[in-house]
Amino acid sequence: MGLSRVFVANRGEIALRIIRACHELGIETVLGVSDADRESRPAREADRALCIGPPQAMDSYLKVETIIAAALGSNADAIHPGYGFLAEQPELVDACAEHDLSFIGPKADHIRTMGDKLLAREMVGTLGIPVIPGSEMVATGNEAKEAAQKLGLPVLLKAAAGGGGKGIKTVNCADDLTDVFDEAAGEARAAFGDDRIFIERYIPNARHIEVQIMGDRQGTVVHFFERDCSLQRRYQKMLEEAPSPVMTEGLREEICDAAVRIARHIDYENAGTVEFVFDQRERRFYFLEMNTRIQVEHPITEMITGVDLVKEQISVAAGNPLAMAQGDITMSGHAVECRINAESPRRAFHPSPGRIDRWEAPAGEGIRVDSHCYTGYVVSPYYDSLLAKLVTRGTDRLDAITKMRHALEHFIISGIDTTIPFHQYILHNREYLEGDINTRWIEDTLLREYGQ
Amino acid sequence: MEAITQDDVFLILKLIEESKYDELHLEIGDLKLDVKKQGTRASVVDAQGVPEMSVETPPPTVSPEDSTHRHASDNVEAAADDSGLIPITASMLGTFYRAPKPGAPPFVDVGQDITDDDTVCIIEVMKLFNTVKAGVNGRVARICASDGEMVEYQQTLFLVEGAGDLDETKRKSA
Repeated sequence: MGLSRVFVANRGEIALRIIRACHELGIETVLGVSDADRESRPAREADRALCIGPPQAMDSYLKVETIIAAALGSNADAIHPGYGFLAEQPELVDACAEHDLSFIGPKADHIRTMGDKLLAREMVGTLGIPVIPGSEMVATGNEAKEAAQKLGLPVLLKAAAGGGGKGIKTVNCADDLTDVFDEAAGEARAAFGDDRIFIERYIPNARHIEVQIMGDRQGTVVHFFERDCSLQRRYQKMLEEAPSPVMTEGLREEICDAAVRIARHIDYENAGTVEFVFDQRERRFYFLEMNTRIQVEHPITEMITGVDLVKEQISVAAGNPLAMAQGDITMSGHAVECRINAESPRRAFHPSPGRIDRWEAPAGEGIRVDSHCYTGYVVSPYYDSLLAKLVTRGTDRLDAITKMRHALEHFIISGIDTTIPFHQYILHNREYLEGDINTRWIEDTLLREYGQ
Repeated sequence: MEAITQDDVFLILKLIEESKYDELHLEIGDLKLDVKKQGTRASVVDAQGVPEMSVETPPPTVSPEDSTHRHASDNVEAAADDSGLIPITASMLGTFYRAPKPGAPPFVDVGQDITDDDTVCIIEVMKLFNTVKAGVNGRVARICASDGEMVEYQQTLFLVEGAGDLDETKRKSA
């Protein structure tokens, strides 16, 4: 079975990534672009580009009806949503099914179950997989206070409909809880249209470790080992690596097995990522959430396993069984990814849109650049600030880091500010090199030294 | 807010033509006018619809051998050739219908006089029918999309000639 024409419902580097994967598979591509992206590189590389609306994502990339109309009108037989935008909107999946379009991603139910963080916690708990100690839904500030005192402070207040680092608040003092609860509920209502809040114990010295999985329609689920995404600022990942430097063989087996069991339990289809919080003091992991899409940082997994995850997504969505069994999936070497954003690290990471006067990306053995940018490209203020994912692969961690330092030094981007200087700062830090970091390290330690 | 009329644009073009300057950048309210003498391209841009960004976007580097590929910008570029004619463009992507229902006479035809409030076509998006108003006064010179065809956002649907200024009452409501 195969697909013949894929509609790409995204923009930027991931649109280009999908277009190229389709091209290699002999599948035609149609790209939906906003008015601001008509001349973008993915628009030029797609077999056809259609303008779906104005620059504001609400009226273009986020409009389910328009995406479906454009896919049907261009005779596509499938939609790839990429990440962000509509990637985790069950409404798009339902609409695809209604109009006989394949959705390159999981079933709507998978998205719904995992999108509800409370439901996901409960489901994973029944499998005997540890979840972060926490509460059921808390309905009032007083309930929140009670729950927090039982768990022990500090705690995190999370939106049930949140995820991806959105809708999280840290509370250190019980007296703040009622106020923060009202804030959190209000923000959750505004952002997600759902004000349900729950509480989790805050794990101070934690790493973020996630497992890439993939399932097919025949019921097979495999994993592609873990990624370590502990270097974050405001819950946004900045630098990722695979494998995690703190995993032992035993722990790796346990965490990967947990991820596969969760996916298998819901008959998960297509690419997904199960995220865990790893408590470094106790050396235990807890389920955090599952992301039901291809993720930004998927290339590091590709670099150590040699599997093209996007091509596999397309194949599986066409109904084909996975091309590989678990035993065929091995990893070798070490990969590091830097997310190069159009932001000014010296100005509190303020967005820095504008025209790129000069763009020279590094190249060479073990260097991969996923980007839609070029000299003369105008970085639009309408969308996220990701310019490029710079990935290096080395024989071991130090080799990958050494390559990354060299690659960053020879990545020339002028006309706008980028996060490159900050990535260089990280990669020359002794604590980072020794692996002595956690999810709070950038904000609590490194940014202070950097002079923020 | 005072709108720039087509006559104003022509007047400005004439002034720059006779001046020693190569470029003019003018902003009045939500209208934006960029004139480049050497580039031979002049554009009036509605600042609310199109960001300043796209004005600065370099011209497409699509080479002639790419012409077998269709691109989102093609329809917009094509409209620029018909100087003097005012385009009515699609406010959304969807299916273009010239008549209110199959078999019914079309809303407008070539040669017909229209006023800005007239419905000229319907764009259907997933069973939702959106009527499109002319937005200009004039006479339909050309119909640029065929019935039942999918049109893109801002694709030119009609070209209107002699599109004059809106009368006072219309301008106030616009």
